[in-house]
Amino acid sequence: MALTDILFALINGAATGSAVFLVAAGLTLIFGILKILNFAHGAFFMIGAYVAYTIIGSNPGSLHVFIAAAFAAAAAVAALGFVADRLVLRRLRHVDEAYMLIATFAVLLVCTGVVKLIWGVNYASINPPPLLDGAVTAGSLFVPSYSLFVIAAGLFVFLGLELVIHRTWIGKLLQAVASDSWMSGVLGINVPAALTITVIASFALAGLAGGLLLANQTLSPILGESYLLLAFMAVIIGGLGNVRGAFIASLLLGTIESGSSLVIPNMPGMATYVFVILFLLAKPQGLIGGRHI
Amino acid sequence: MALRLGGILFGAALFLALPTVTDQGIVFLAGLVVIEAIFALSWNLLFGFTGLASFGHAAFFAIGAYLTGYGLKAGLGVPFLGLIAASGLLGALVAALTGLVLLRRTTGIHLAIFTLALAEVLRIVIGYSTLLGREDGLASIPKPTLELGFATIPLTSGTAYYYFMCVAGLVIGAVLWVVCHGPYGRLLVSIRQDPQRVAFLGVNVGRKRLQAFILSGAVAAVAGALYAPWAQIVTPESAHWIHSTQPMLASLLGGAHSFWGPVVGTVLFSIINYLTRNLVGLSELVIGATLLIIVLAAPSGVIGLVRTAQQRWSRRRKRGAGPDGDEGGSLRS
Repeated sequence: MALTDILFALINGAATGSAVFLVAAGLTLIFGILKILNFAHGAFFMIGAYVAYTIIGSNPGSLHVFIAAAFAAAAAVAALGFVADRLVLRRLRHVDEAYMLIATFAVLLVCTGVVKLIWGVNYASINPPPLLDGAVTAGSLFVPSYSLFVIAAGLFVFLGLELVIHRTWIGKLLQAVASDSWMSGVLGINVPAALTITVIASFALAGLAGGLLLANQTLSPILGESYLLLAFMAVIIGGLGNVRGAFIASLLLGTIESGSSLVIPNMPGMATYVFVILFLLAKPQGLIGGRHI
Repeated sequence: MALRLGGILFGAALFLALPTVTDQGIVFLAGLVVIEAIFALSWNLLFGFTGLASFGHAAFFAIGAYLTGYGLKAGLGVPFLGLIAASGLLGALVAALTGLVLLRRTTGIHLAIFTLALAEVLRIVIGYSTLLGREDGLASIPKPTLELGFATIPLTSGTAYYYFMCVAGLVIGAVLWVVCHGPYGRLLVSIRQDPQRVAFLGVNVGRKRLQAFILSGAVAAVAGALYAPWAQIVTPESAHWIHSTQPMLASLLGGAHSFWGPVVGTVLFSIINYLTRNLVGLSELVIGATLLIIVLAAPSGVIGLVRTAQQRWSRRRKRGAGPDGDEGGSLRS
């Protein structure tokens, strides 16, 4: 195992981790504030990818178009999030969390059905835009530029969320609602509006992730599942509903995933699950415990 | 009560009569319903009664399916009932080992993620073990012969095996019914409702939860054991988390807080699946929408809906008979 192999695995891990974080970001946001483990998140991620694919096709013309399509997908999924909030989530604010899981799972089923009806079950694959199609080489190290783009996107979303949550009034307001929604209501904060904003932001992040991670993916109705489980693990390991924890956990899981493919290449995913089980046994409250978003 | 007993007898008679009135395809689906109903009953013992949500229950199903499938295929000479018992024991053993570690640590969402991760590990291990056929699974598993000591019954025909499954389903259902409706079942329900208070009453809540987990794992493994010769193929998909969601959806659709809810849910699910089989995507859409409506409008499931309607109806009838009719009956649910 040469040094370049390890370096390559690390960069690959960072890329996988950033991709997982892009999906986990919305998941952890909605968990931190609404205490919902949203099964439908993967489906909305998938819808985001399909929407972006419909806009740009298999060969996106340029990087600008690619990113613009991702933002359009974010807007479209945000609109769907508003609808889902009105129709489902808002009515279930006070029921047992198990029923909430089942309800979001039902939404996942509906979304999968709709995707199959609209886009069919055929696979489609999308090339990265021309600027990201190549690779960066440094000595014997060879990194696809799309991986670098995904790492940058993950960092961008993380820093954006950090800034919004910890440095703006709306972030403070959401933190207040998350820690004690009843008291926030008494103090005059419009709690239902804050919750709706959270849901919309979370879904927008899912759509954005779908658009940004579109290239080098096989687009099919099971796309939602592929990242969902990893994102769940990241959210749980990060300490439920903690954005910073989710970011670190995503990178950790990504590194384990790519590192294990170097050491035990014939069992993909295995090391990740084993790590999750052992980690939670040792530290059930997660990397950063408590419920600080 | 009479109505419910009638419903159960009618359902049983319908299932027993199926091979004489319909074709092989429907009988095959009915057999799957029997298996999945047992599976769903085992899951609901945990969720509906004890209040523990396992998201990796398919792991136990796969354990039973692979053990029995491998035993039959390799021709180990172990009698079929022995294989089923071994499946149940292995399921119980695995449940005991995981439960000992997990239940001490956690319940709720953490337990869900733990069990999900464990089931995925099992699926990956199965998918990469050559002995168990890797991703292709174990194919062409023969249907067994039942040896009872005093008699030998060949189950090699589809109909014979179907009847065997119906009997097995009735036996397992009856055993679980007795367990759930005795003092033990009451205890489990009170643990679901308020574990802290039950603990104050001097009950070892952790041990009761572990027992329920073991029993549930054993029954799920037996369901898997029945499945292997019926489908004649077992693949790693049987441990996939999508399969783990089947008993959950069936239980909630039928009614998780009633004993027969999971069975009703399983039947409804396969009917929906059968009716929507031709248009891709429609079955997910219909099942998802049905579930959503159930969770939003009637969280107690189809059985809960029927029960409410029944109570309303009988109350109205009593009111018609006389003004001082006994309204206390509605307290019994």
